[in-house]
Amino acid sequence: MSHQLPPGFRLERKSNTEEFFINMGPQHPSTHGALRLTLRMDGENIVELVPHFGYIHRGMEKQAESMSYLQYIALSDRQDYLTAIQNNLGVVIALEKGMNVGVPLRGEYIRVMLQELGRIASHLVFYGCFGGDLGGQTCLLFGFKEREMIHDMLEEVTGSRLTTNFFRPGGSRYDVPDTFIPRVKAFLDHMEDTMKDYERFLSKNIIVLERSIGIGVLSKEDAIAYGCSGPVLRASGVNFDVRRANPYSIYDLFDFDVPVFHNGDCYDRYKIRIAEIHESLKILRQCVEKFPTEGPWRSKEKPVRLPVGRYYSEIETAKGLYATYVVAATTGEKPYRIHTRGPSFPHIAALNKMVQGHKISDLVTIMATLDPVIPEIDR
Amino acid sequence: MGIINLAPKILDPIPGGKYVVNAIDYVVNWARANSIWPLTYGTSCCAIEMMSSSMARYDIARFGSEVFRSSPRQADLFILAGTITRRMAPAIQMLWEQIPGPKYVIAMGACTISGGPFIYDNYSVVRGAQNLIPVDVFVPGCPPRPEALFHGLLTLREKILKETCRNPWHEGEPKDVSTMDRYREAAKTWAALEEMKDEQMAEARAKFKEENPDYKSTFKPVRVKKEEFPVVERVPFKRLGLTQVELFQKLRAKFPNVTVHTRGEDTPEDLVAKMPADCPLEVMLEKEDYLNVVEFVKNDPEFKMDYLIDVTAIDYDDHFDMVTMLRSLEIGHKIFLCVQLKKDFSIDEEKRPTSLLAKVPSITKFYPGAEVKEREVYEMFGINFEGHPDLRHIFLDKDFVGFPLRKDFTHPEMIRRPI
Repeated sequence: MSHQLPPGFRLERKSNTEEFFINMGPQHPSTHGALRLTLRMDGENIVELVPHFGYIHRGMEKQAESMSYLQYIALSDRQDYLTAIQNNLGVVIALEKGMNVGVPLRGEYIRVMLQELGRIASHLVFYGCFGGDLGGQTCLLFGFKEREMIHDMLEEVTGSRLTTNFFRPGGSRYDVPDTFIPRVKAFLDHMEDTMKDYERFLSKNIIVLERSIGIGVLSKEDAIAYGCSGPVLRASGVNFDVRRANPYSIYDLFDFDVPVFHNGDCYDRYKIRIAEIHESLKILRQCVEKFPTEGPWRSKEKPVRLPVGRYYSEIETAKGLYATYVVAATTGEKPYRIHTRGPSFPHIAALNKMVQGHKISDLVTIMATLDPVIPEIDR
Repeated sequence: MGIINLAPKILDPIPGGKYVVNAIDYVVNWARANSIWPLTYGTSCCAIEMMSSSMARYDIARFGSEVFRSSPRQADLFILAGTITRRMAPAIQMLWEQIPGPKYVIAMGACTISGGPFIYDNYSVVRGAQNLIPVDVFVPGCPPRPEALFHGLLTLREKILKETCRNPWHEGEPKDVSTMDRYREAAKTWAALEEMKDEQMAEARAKFKEENPDYKSTFKPVRVKKEEFPVVERVPFKRLGLTQVELFQKLRAKFPNVTVHTRGEDTPEDLVAKMPADCPLEVMLEKEDYLNVVEFVKNDPEFKMDYLIDVTAIDYDDHFDMVTMLRSLEIGHKIFLCVQLKKDFSIDEEKRPTSLLAKVPSITKFYPGAEVKEREVYEMFGINFEGHPDLRHIFLDKDFVGFPLRKDFTHPEMIRRPI
């Protein structure tokens, strides 16, 4: 080859046309945060893509070494802020394994309900951004309308809209107020109706169909090899959901389906999230019916000190598999090291496989359906 | 705005001219203050609250700011939503320079004011946007609610309305200030203030005692009755696939050197048998066995570890523990492979913090997803991966010195957390 390719690009040159390079980001409205992508273009088609991370690398894992375990729960909010309440649970389960603390039934119900509310809120942001990136700004207004209702509930329970910092080993910070269950009931009644509007708006829209069917296909083999998880993996035909595979909390008590689609294209990744909202509503409906009105909401408080060892927990957030790995080298309040495995990192690593041969406008669609959160990648 | 800024010079000497200048001010400020177009920019959590504020519930259009522009050339307002890192700082300065004047900056959230939760033990966060570009309004919160952002917007509006063409909008300079000096100064001032407060309190207490020698406190502490909670035993979560004992025995039959972390005098078999059901099996390997074990567990029909969860490492005094987390999607069991890598102490002690201290074969040919994870371990710990196709820096600049997650890492911009 006569000239050197920029770092990261690997493919052999095939065509005789002149190739050029485009830089997308770090400030770009459709990269969903500070992510930089460099594209190698042949005319209008993408030959290869190299992601550049680190524009929002905040050194959380280094900070965690000088923090106590409880302080780290607050940092986990800021990793994936769309599913902050779920990240809290991921960290807390790892701590509970070390402390050997259980949670009473009412506490577990509170956990599951907030998890599912958080999942719906995150998928609604996806719905809005997906529509917005395809040119339908109205979707953003739609998605955020119901999301505000969820935020009202979260604020009522946790005291904060976004960065919740709510769960603690053995339960949670507070009990839910008496108004919580009626509110969730009202929300469910409203949401089940509204979902029909949502689907009518995008699912059969000709622009959405044309721009997402057959675009950005991720094969089953690639999805597994790159370590994708969550809706992206399930849209490629793999039936893997941590809530089913290793049911944490009390997910084994509920009757819900794990939706699986088999094409692995953008439209399937959209449909699977809509289907997951329906499943979340189903779980919430069962929670509201069975919610224990009496009984303790947390177990006896214990100082958060972990014995020497390594503790691992994994949960299914709205984006996928969120794993926490805690290393305690001395018995005490501070970790030796905490490592987080976020779901978005492998998705962006697999992005190169999906975009090859597509146009730049398709890249925007594919990015939207991966639903990445960049601070969770960079940490 | 060159012509308008000339207006006071020409019109003020003329009788009645200052009323014309005031009228010009009124019109110009009215136009500027009621259509502040923000730039679509956001790095983290605050960006979501900024999006919320432009949606139906909060409706930023009430203040004339609903037009979020994607190009800085069409924007007036730069809402710095989210943490600023050292790597992002040049991009922010460039964006600010591309916005045509008069331009305004709102620093939204604790991170852009002072570094927020990322002040201590941090090597990558810029502590405060005012070290990079001039800031007009600060909005505190982590993240601030949309109402707080509106308050910031209205404050900015008041600021704009006070401008006149006699004292026109002034463009500042992008800066490049280290926060360390200012932090030290502020810490010193704070300590002096605390000391002064303590002295004053002691004086006041002594004076009070002199004046009222018979005084007895009527304060009685009231103890609020604490809610009693039961002790609940943890129930291990359900697991699928082979148990830890079966996994360990099968792996040991093939590789006799495989063991687990030994604690006390228990044999490895006893330790594995004692593990809780939902604790993944973590085995210790020799470096030579690593690739063979990975290949074996990936292809063996009883293991079928087809899914790589993560690759990470832990730094100890004389060695690294590199942990490869594997899982079988089909069967459901997990196994963690821990490779102990001795640090290469033949390197000079001075050069050790900046040089690669261990090497290990790469597993990218079995798991393509390991590529980015191994780059992260390479960057954070300084472990060299042999056979990796593209071993580059991933999160930090390529001229960054040192490996942050090592325990002996130091950085000139790092402030230790006070204990």
